[in-house]
Amino acid sequence: MAYDSPGQVLQGKLSRRSFMKTTAAGVATGAMASGSFLRQAAADDGLRSIGLGVSEINEIQAKATKDLGFPVAGQAMGYGEMFSKMLNQNDQYEIAEGYFNDMRVMAPAKVWQPIDTKKIKEWDKVTNLTKTGKLTPESSEGQGDAPFKLMWCDANGTIVKGPSQYIIMVPGWHNADSLGYNPKATGRAIESWSELLNKDFKGKVALLNVPQIGVMDAALAIEALGLKKFVDKGNMTKAEIDFLIDYLIPLKKAGHFRAFWENFGQSVNLMVNGEVALESMWSPAVAAIQAEGVPCVYAFPKEGMRGWHGGMAISAKVKGKQLDQAYEYINWWLDGWPAAFVARQGYYHSIPDNAKKYLEPAEWDYWYDGKPAAKDLADPFGTIIIKKGETRSGGSYWNRYSKINVWNSIMQENDYLVKRWTEFLTA
Amino acid sequence: MTTLESYAKIAEAAPRGLIGGAPVVRGEDEIKRKYRREPGFPVPILIAPATMWLIVFLFLPLISIFIFSFWKTTGHGMTPAFSLEHYRAFFVTEGFFDPKNGDFLTPSVFIRTLWTTFRFTFTVMAICLLLAYPLAYFLSMQVEDFKWQLALFLLAMVPFWTSYLIRAVAWLPMLGRHGLINEFLLDIGAIDEPVSFFLYSEFSYTMALVQLYVVLAVGPIFFSLAKIDRTLLEAARDMAATPFQIFREIIFPLSLPGIAIGMIFVFVMVMGEFATAVVVYGGKTSTTGTVILNYYVIANYPFAAVNAIMLMLAMMIGVVIILRLVDIRKEL
Repeated sequence: MAYDSPGQVLQGKLSRRSFMKTTAAGVATGAMASGSFLRQAAADDGLRSIGLGVSEINEIQAKATKDLGFPVAGQAMGYGEMFSKMLNQNDQYEIAEGYFNDMRVMAPAKVWQPIDTKKIKEWDKVTNLTKTGKLTPESSEGQGDAPFKLMWCDANGTIVKGPSQYIIMVPGWHNADSLGYNPKATGRAIESWSELLNKDFKGKVALLNVPQIGVMDAALAIEALGLKKFVDKGNMTKAEIDFLIDYLIPLKKAGHFRAFWENFGQSVNLMVNGEVALESMWSPAVAAIQAEGVPCVYAFPKEGMRGWHGGMAISAKVKGKQLDQAYEYINWWLDGWPAAFVARQGYYHSIPDNAKKYLEPAEWDYWYDGKPAAKDLADPFGTIIIKKGETRSGGSYWNRYSKINVWNSIMQENDYLVKRWTEFLTA
Repeated sequence: MTTLESYAKIAEAAPRGLIGGAPVVRGEDEIKRKYRREPGFPVPILIAPATMWLIVFLFLPLISIFIFSFWKTTGHGMTPAFSLEHYRAFFVTEGFFDPKNGDFLTPSVFIRTLWTTFRFTFTVMAICLLLAYPLAYFLSMQVEDFKWQLALFLLAMVPFWTSYLIRAVAWLPMLGRHGLINEFLLDIGAIDEPVSFFLYSEFSYTMALVQLYVVLAVGPIFFSLAKIDRTLLEAARDMAATPFQIFREIIFPLSLPGIAIGMIFVFVMVMGEFATAVVVYGGKTSTTGTVILNYYVIANYPFAAVNAIMLMLAMMIGVVIILRLVDIRKEL
């Protein structure tokens, strides 16, 4: 998940130098964006939306403003900043473009209001991925905080077992993460999470340094190696966390990990500079790395991928005219224009058919249907990122999402996890 | 003759020295002036803005951090309470008091992290001092012309005109597996394959921290050296002191305040570090700064507050130790 990726990076307009400046640029654009964001003020007309660079993209909010007839201002933030603002300052935004894996914190805090599905025009068309957890009847639900477990609520905003009339967040964009690798450096195709801990790649592996997610990637690898079966990788027990960290510490001491990355730009950098052969990665990084002339493949591990799901929530403070506008914005999102926009970076939509309306057939076939690209395909900003004939790893949307192994989650033992992760990093 | 002109005249006549120099001979007028209140705003009004600023943006936040450290976490925020559980969690690990346990009397990971932070800081301070002192010495003692002194001093500052992040990130193309150093060593045949030790290692981390903060040590040392009255050195030479004696007996003791201030700057900055480790150490270590951030991100504010307080205490202890070693007030 592109936790910390400034829009600039996602636009695929990267040069070697701009990689170096990625983080700095993120800070700068963040500061600039917040300028206009503040000017928007909390007048009772128009919406302020906050989220990550995945969905907060100038083009999208500009198009919304044009289509809807009231101003929509978006602000892309880093993950930590977004998380705290959503949690602590719900009078500073109307729309939270958040993530289901944060719901265990956000829902009990009651910072968002229940959304009435009767006011969501195409609610019936939203797929079962978030409603029942099964995109297709044969799909497995996946471990961890699958969205369907955390979406439904009662009229007070308390999470309930669905279905119900109310939801806390309207499902929007989503994707599944796995490993990215440089086939020249690995010398073979990577088809299992176990490769992450394979001693062949000692000193050439990077992990994501977000404890909640990094630990799941490591758990997927440990399971794939047959060392241990976790009851629920998205909600491990203390003993499971101990087993995992105790396994990782000697590896780290032996120099297995080249680095732990924290933002999108870093992950790109590591592979472009030849520091790693293999790393946990967010899918838009592949295009960014290829744009630098470095071969990169996104693996589709046989164990399945790690899924995440974003969506739109409404601040508990919003009422009256702005509340109506919030619903209008959400309905506009579901209608598909923005979904098609982000589809060109590989993100899926909760109503695939609506994204299809705004995609060219060749784009639909490649991004959703898993077919070879009939022609060169561009990202949302016009840069060609897919060459004719390429196929998306993992195949079609339905194939990929029937095998989600685990969803991004916040565990009950989160504090303990962060503590042990700190120990791992300090070792 | 105006006062300014008379000062200029005295300064001209006095031996060279950037700040201070020879004792200024004061006229009777000037002595009187010193005791006369300048007309204008009364003192309370003059200090009010700074005081208000400090109260609102420093003292109140510090007090609230202290108070929050006793609150209870709810998983999505905190509620008022008086609880020592977070302090306990900071110090005590499971089995700490149990002699049969493998973790008997093992310091907690947070104490070890604070210790690692401190160890790195100390190394960085030592290297900064070793680099900064000769540089400052050269600038203040060897460069005769004041213009050149200033110009060279500014030149030493140039890298610090760019942003912190750029300076940290700039190490990557230098030290990486395919970085300049490795390419060079490969070209001259010193190594057969790229060395990975340069980047994402303790080496690169220390180096980057030194480069980031060394100027904080150069400045104060330079100023305290420049302040030394040259007539003292002259007198020492007249009395047949060797250069080493002059350095040991006069220059070094007189530059101690600069060293102390420079070291305090470096100490405080590096103790609070968390971003550089991510960039040049590949996140392969944790600093107390990282811990604070990690707990802040999962909304465990009380525990983040405990770590912040412990970091602050460690900093205060460090500063007190430095000030114990050098009595700045006396030396100045």
